[in-house]
Amino acid sequence: MADVKQFAEFSVPAATVGAAAGLIAGGLAAFVGQPAGWAVVTGLGLGVPLVLLGAGYAVLVALGKVPAGVFAPAAVYWVIGFPLALLVHSVATEWVVTGAPGLPPEPWKFLAFRALVSMGFAIGFLWMHEQIGRHWWPRILDHNVYAQRTVQQYVHLAQALEARKAATGRGRKKKLA
Amino acid sequence: MDVTSKTSEVPEEPAASAATEKVWRAGRLEPMPIRKLPDAPPSLHILGPTVFLVALGVGMGESYMWPRLVLVFGPDIRWLFMVGVTLQAFVLLEMARYAMATGESIFFGAARIFKPMMWFFYVAAILIYMWPGHLSAGAAAFQEISGIPWQVSACVALIFVGVLFSMLSVIYNFLEKLLGLLIGLLVVGTSVIAAMVGSWDDLGNTLSGMFAFGYFPDKAMTAAWFPIVVGSIAFAGPSGMQQMWYTLQLRDSGAAMGAHIPKIRGLRAAGEAESMPSRGFMFDTEDPAELQKWKGWRKWVTFDALLLFWGITMLVTVSFTVLAMSAARENPNVASLIEGGDREAALKAMSDAFASAGSPILGTLFFGFIALIGLNATLGLFDSFSRGQADMTYYFVPGAKRFSMSRLYAGFLWGVITFGILILLFGPADGPAGILDILAFLSTFAMGAYCVVLLLVNNKLLPKPIRPGPVRNLIIGFGAVFYLGLLFYCLFRFGVVVD
Repeated sequence: MADVKQFAEFSVPAATVGAAAGLIAGGLAAFVGQPAGWAVVTGLGLGVPLVLLGAGYAVLVALGKVPAGVFAPAAVYWVIGFPLALLVHSVATEWVVTGAPGLPPEPWKFLAFRALVSMGFAIGFLWMHEQIGRHWWPRILDHNVYAQRTVQQYVHLAQALEARKAATGRGRKKKLA
Repeated sequence: MDVTSKTSEVPEEPAASAATEKVWRAGRLEPMPIRKLPDAPPSLHILGPTVFLVALGVGMGESYMWPRLVLVFGPDIRWLFMVGVTLQAFVLLEMARYAMATGESIFFGAARIFKPMMWFFYVAAILIYMWPGHLSAGAAAFQEISGIPWQVSACVALIFVGVLFSMLSVIYNFLEKLLGLLIGLLVVGTSVIAAMVGSWDDLGNTLSGMFAFGYFPDKAMTAAWFPIVVGSIAFAGPSGMQQMWYTLQLRDSGAAMGAHIPKIRGLRAAGEAESMPSRGFMFDTEDPAELQKWKGWRKWVTFDALLLFWGITMLVTVSFTVLAMSAARENPNVASLIEGGDREAALKAMSDAFASAGSPILGTLFFGFIALIGLNATLGLFDSFSRGQADMTYYFVPGAKRFSMSRLYAGFLWGVITFGILILLFGPADGPAGILDILAFLSTFAMGAYCVVLLLVNNKLLPKPIRPGPVRNLIIGFGAVFYLGLLFYCLFRFGVVVD
């Protein structure tokens, strides 16, 4: 149980990116003059799957299955995840509009198009994940082992950069006395 | 140009001042002392200085000019975009070669070859980039959302940028983070919107059009359209002098030999700036260990060029083209407005089409993204312009070394801001109508010229082991012929410069 809590806490940045994307999608439906429930379901239709999938990615990072901040694994993850999230969104929207869940027309074309667009989403996701994460993980460092591990990876990176600076003399004051 | 021994004449490097040291003689200016090449970053991290180029490059070309050409000529015209952006990716890699090997800007490299070349870029940059017209699209989009007149928001944005950059202690770090977040948001949002309103067929057409090499309809060869097509090719990815400024971002991010050069600071912290060496440095290219590190750096920048630059530029244009196509389907009026060339009317019609197809918020969101693109470009442009001019002024204007690089940067920044506000309030934002043609000419000419400069600096100023291979040279040579050829063909055949 403690593990689940730690995972959840570690996944906040990834879930935030998913939520931001969901919010953009949700916003599209929010002001059409439709009943509020319609807008909320449509918004959540994309937001919830993206939050969950984002958290899933973060868990893989936490477990060390995926290196933090590297593109290829994120691209593979989202090439499957992103079309699925949009499929869920489409089914949910259909459900609310017609009263019965249904697949979009030509589901394979639907999925293939979104799979291609997913590359872009993967770049944006990874980028924002790292940006938000480097502010969030240090805050939960003292009690979250996964945050500790990830921050250590970044500290290692920073040390390598620092060593690089020291080796090249950039860090020292160059002014003459 | 070989590695020789001489007594250093570099007063600000105490460690090197007394000793006899190895230097690399490149061109006519001061030789470069040999220093250690730092290790390349240990992993392929997604953030790099290319974020600036993406911020500058993803602008009106991607969000408006190319979608427009697709609606007029069909998706097959996009092969020209493919050629333009791919060429720019190679230019990026070659710009990085000189900047990373020496820690010098490409302007410094040009001066090592032939100083007047550098002065051409110095004057051209001022002429092209002092006009605040680039603010208008983003600010106009913001006006659509908020109702605030665009001149007001543009003036406020100008002052905000000036104050912000003056307050920062190290400008590069902050801008990299801010632009990173903004571009992340842009990319995530564009992907989500394209995934929701686009279709496989739109995307299929757009993508297959990228490989329709040689397609060039008769209509594109007319005096009305040829200059627009050439202008759009030049605006595929970073245009004008943006690639040259990228060498300064690389230096300030501490990439490779750029690590030996101090960073530019905001005005408030300008006093703390470390003193700037009077030229760049070179590493020992005869040492296999150093060459191994160099390979690591090349790998790092190639990843940046391919994924960030090429990938994001492609993604954003493909997405906006898909959006334009679906907007035109929703509302045939959009197509005629876009073809007509009134940018504001066309963007508004696209926004309306999305609003009627999805919801009003979709239209607002579309304008939000145009405003975001405008904001990114403005932040990047002001910083880059001031950086470039400060660099050339510091090294080549007699007496300018009295001021620190950070102070010169602040001077150019506030200069261009003050001029921008005056023009926004009292003058033509894009520049006087009489010189618009000259500015468009200069912008494309600079691109052909920097290809020539690249060939010269990389082949004449760098040690043999790190010079570009024949294929790279051929591609950059093609770039020079491509940009200059199209420009002059346009000028002589139709009597007009690019549009």
